[in-house]
Amino acid sequence: MMRSRLWLAVACLLATMGSAVAQKQGGTLRVTHRDNPPSASVLEEATISTLMPFMAVFNNLVVFDPATRENRLDRVVPDLATSWALTDDDRTLTFQLRDGVKWHDGKPFTSADVKCTFDMLSGKVASKMRKNPHKTWWFNVKDIATDGDNKVVFHLTDPQPSIMALFAAGFSPIYPCHVPAAEMRTHPIGTGPFKFVEFKQNESIKLVRNPDYWKPGRPYLDAIEYTIIPNRATMLLAMATGKFDLTFTSDLTPELMKSLQEQAPETQCVLQPTGTQGNLLVNRERPPFDNEQIRRAMVLSIDRKAFSDILSRGIFDVGGVDLPPPEGRWGWSKEFMETVPGYGADVEKSRDEGRRIMKSLGYGPDNMLPLKVSTRNIPDYRDAAVILIDHLKSVYIQAELEPLDSSVWYARLARKDFSVGMNIQGISIDDPDATFFENYLCGSERNYTSYCNADLEKKFHEQSQMKDLDARRKLVWDIDKTLQMDAARPVVFHAKAATCWWPRVHGINIAMNTIYNHWRFEDVWLDQ
Amino acid sequence: MLDYILRRLALMVLTLFGASVAIFLLLRIVPGNIADILFDSAGMIDPAEKQQIIKDLGLDLPLVEQYARWIGGLAHGDLGYSYVSEKPVLDEILPRIPITARLAGLALLFAVCTGVPFGVISAVRQNSWLDYILRVFSLLFLSMPSFWLGLLVLMAFVNWFGILPIYDKAPPTWGAFALMLGVPAATVGLRSSALIMRLTRSSMLEVLRQDYVRTARSKGLSEGAVTFVHALRNAVLPVITTIGIETAFLFGGLIVTETVFNIPGVARFLVEAIRWRDYPMVQNLVMFIAVIVVMVNLIVDIAYMFVDPRIRLRA
Amino acid sequence: MSDAWYYARRYPLGVAGAIILIVFVLTALLANVVAPFDPLTTNARASLAPPSGTYWIGADMMGRDMLSRMIHGARISLAVALGATCIGSGLGAMLGLASGYLGGWFDLIVQRIAEIMQSLPLLVMALVITASLGPSLTNTIIAIAIPLIPNVARVIRANVLSLRELNYVEAARAVGMGQARIALRHVFPNTLAPLIVLATAQLGSTILTEASLSFLGLGVPEPYPSWGRMLSESAAEYIRSAPWLVIFPGLAISLVVFGANLFGDALRDILDPRQGD
Repeated sequence: MMRSRLWLAVACLLATMGSAVAQKQGGTLRVTHRDNPPSASVLEEATISTLMPFMAVFNNLVVFDPATRENRLDRVVPDLATSWALTDDDRTLTFQLRDGVKWHDGKPFTSADVKCTFDMLSGKVASKMRKNPHKTWWFNVKDIATDGDNKVVFHLTDPQPSIMALFAAGFSPIYPCHVPAAEMRTHPIGTGPFKFVEFKQNESIKLVRNPDYWKPGRPYLDAIEYTIIPNRATMLLAMATGKFDLTFTSDLTPELMKSLQEQAPETQCVLQPTGTQGNLLVNRERPPFDNEQIRRAMVLSIDRKAFSDILSRGIFDVGGVDLPPPEGRWGWSKEFMETVPGYGADVEKSRDEGRRIMKSLGYGPDNMLPLKVSTRNIPDYRDAAVILIDHLKSVYIQAELEPLDSSVWYARLARKDFSVGMNIQGISIDDPDATFFENYLCGSERNYTSYCNADLEKKFHEQSQMKDLDARRKLVWDIDKTLQMDAARPVVFHAKAATCWWPRVHGINIAMNTIYNHWRFEDVWLDQ
Repeated sequence: MLDYILRRLALMVLTLFGASVAIFLLLRIVPGNIADILFDSAGMIDPAEKQQIIKDLGLDLPLVEQYARWIGGLAHGDLGYSYVSEKPVLDEILPRIPITARLAGLALLFAVCTGVPFGVISAVRQNSWLDYILRVFSLLFLSMPSFWLGLLVLMAFVNWFGILPIYDKAPPTWGAFALMLGVPAATVGLRSSALIMRLTRSSMLEVLRQDYVRTARSKGLSEGAVTFVHALRNAVLPVITTIGIETAFLFGGLIVTETVFNIPGVARFLVEAIRWRDYPMVQNLVMFIAVIVVMVNLIVDIAYMFVDPRIRLRA
Repeated sequence: MSDAWYYARRYPLGVAGAIILIVFVLTALLANVVAPFDPLTTNARASLAPPSGTYWIGADMMGRDMLSRMIHGARISLAVALGATCIGSGLGAMLGLASGYLGGWFDLIVQRIAEIMQSLPLLVMALVITASLGPSLTNTIIAIAIPLIPNVARVIRANVLSLRELNYVEAARAVGMGQARIALRHVFPNTLAPLIVLATAQLGSTILTEASLSFLGLGVPEPYPSWGRMLSESAAEYIRSAPWLVIFPGLAISLVVFGANLFGDALRDILDPRQGD
């Protein structure tokens, strides 16, 4: 009797010792950053430059289970909301909120803050936000009501299973009602594990531990410091010599990752999809691409594998609008992909057909169609554009590169003053609701190519309401195939890049199918 | 003398006024403004939101009014607010100036301390192999792109010493601090050093042949005294000139060096501000640089007059 | 001919510089003949290939042969250097000549404009100009030429001021020769020497400015292989795994500028014998 109790006591002691040794408190995590965030306000930005440093300041209603590596719709766990329920034919979503949560300035968190945040996001209330890039996500929210301090009710127009994914996204933190939007841009207040300390433009960002965080014992780190190093060569050298613990997410191409690991073999790197895809913006309102035949010919000339080979030594993925498996949940299977024109393995055959089409229109090796390929004047964009120009030659299109300064690029896109643009865009959630609605809806502001297909739009809404994952996926595949065949926005590659850190950093859990999440750092600890 | 200075000061004001108009107009000729950049980064185009930003920042006002607002504020010491960080321009610029000033100052110090002695040696030992080597090396340093040099220097330090002398807010040792300051300063200053060496050499040569040196020599002064007392004093002139010319060119080297060595100074900041079309920031920073350049030119000219009595007479 | 040998023996460094420049110009002019590959063709399999029998100095990230890109890059650098120097020095000389000779209000205004241009940092001006006009070869040349103008104008003006007082100019004026004729026939030829010296000095610095512009992401755009852009961001990242991407363009730039400086030095020694030997 005594002996078993003794063993029990010893076992308990060992267990507590084990867990105490496992995670260490303290230390400052030093992270590199690649460029200046436009502001500190996560809701106002769509760039990872803002999200990665400032996500740790906030909480969401719900999050994707950080223990998994996949952001999955069926793995959404509580954050500020302890539970949620769907009623009224799935058109009413009620969240039960957590008690005793405080904002960083000491004020209590209530349901009013949730209502404020989503009223602002869905555009129901005029706000002092300078811009609202995620407004389209909340198209389905009809109304938001609070029921006491701990309950909030969302009334939806239609059932939308994916809305939980939207709530769990990195870009959906909860903002306080009592802090004006302008202040959130320069000195954000949240409920998260880390408090904002300072943001020196183009220099550094500093966060410090929130001692009153509502998760006991978290976070482990004392502080997080981001240093902005715009020059990649310098950043690599600094990382290799151990001046920093962690690189900015997906900042290293596969080549650079290899280079870093050669210089510093102890570093750990994870290579995965960045959530950015290279695609072509084809202006359907302007010659030559107002002509459907020429659009087809162009699509047939693309050798997607070459893009992947040249830009990444074959590591980039090929797929449609949605991120391809195994990382992505909604992308085509390999077998399905073969059935989509332009994605077949036989590039020469596709190009032959493209040449046939162009010849029938009167073009040939002595009569090439002149064209300007516009793109942003940044190396990643330019490199992709150069490859495209090379491919277009194979179907008698003589293209010239038109690199545009970022602000000009955007303005020209808005004015539809371009023929074809080489575009690299990020999709922050691996979910068709996000991808389809942002870019392919008639009249959506991000729909630069004026693509408008009313039938397909009906299908967008149809898949959005489907609960059966497999059936929904089938429909999504068909929609994706139609989009590619229509040359709505031909997708050329899905980028992959690496994030690296030194082994003294523990608890980094990078999501497989997005970079725009999992930057709370509440489980990260340093082994000093 | 005094009215020469007053005249120059008056002209200086004219120049600065012209510079302010120039930078103001140039910025607005460049396509795109902060609203475009902000929206580009967010990828979202609600035209109403964009118009609101433009209105809030006063960018839809007529140009003359925008200019008047800026200059009026400047006269009161109000430099306006950054479009990007929304903080006062002065708060952004003030902490960064000493960092760049330190880098530039050390660079010039390095340039003078290496350039002048080598120039003297080269002139005194004219046409010897030492002279040739020094001349070739100085030309070599004048020919290298400064950022290439910077990258190579960084690489050399990492490969040979295992140290990375980039900017560190809190350097761990005095040695690290010295390297952090010294290495970029030497990289920037190498060019100026080569220039100063060449100019020192050529004017030393010229001076060494002058009559009064021959007179001094014939009076029986030792070779050493002749060289270092008389000739050097007059050879100081080109050093002063170089400082004047180089101030303007130095800035380009500073931009590049600050980028490579990751120094959070004013030069790198200016480039970023231009990229963001942060008008208040760019305008005020450029004016600041213009003031410095013009003042340095004035000081150089006055110093010239003190050192060389012939010029004083002509003025 | 004996004159040339005389100069060659007295100024060996200048000859070395001249040889470098000649090689440079020939390479640029004969680029299509000399380059083993097409500098623009991408080749995935050769990406970042180290120096070997096929790729003498390796290949870049897109699999393009570095040697061919360097050879064609000479063309771009030559175009930029010649273009910017000619335009900058030419316009600067004209302004300086007019300003120095005519004096008065014209001189005062031009002086102020030159000072304004000089007080705006060169790289900033070039940045703004390239951003406004968009990146292209012509615009890069313009962006580099414009800051040269005030420098050249000032030097030429100073020269002209001293020449104006010369006896034969006075005499020409006394005889009644027109201002323009005096300027062109008597004053200008004597400014040629310092102008040539200045121009050759600028030759090197224009190439360096182009390199800095490209480093900042402006300058000559794709797909033209400019040495400066080959050195910029995307190459510098690979400085450890593929150092040939960074070393060779930098060496080429340094060598050509070095040659231009050597040659310019010797030229100055010859034309302006007060300095140097």
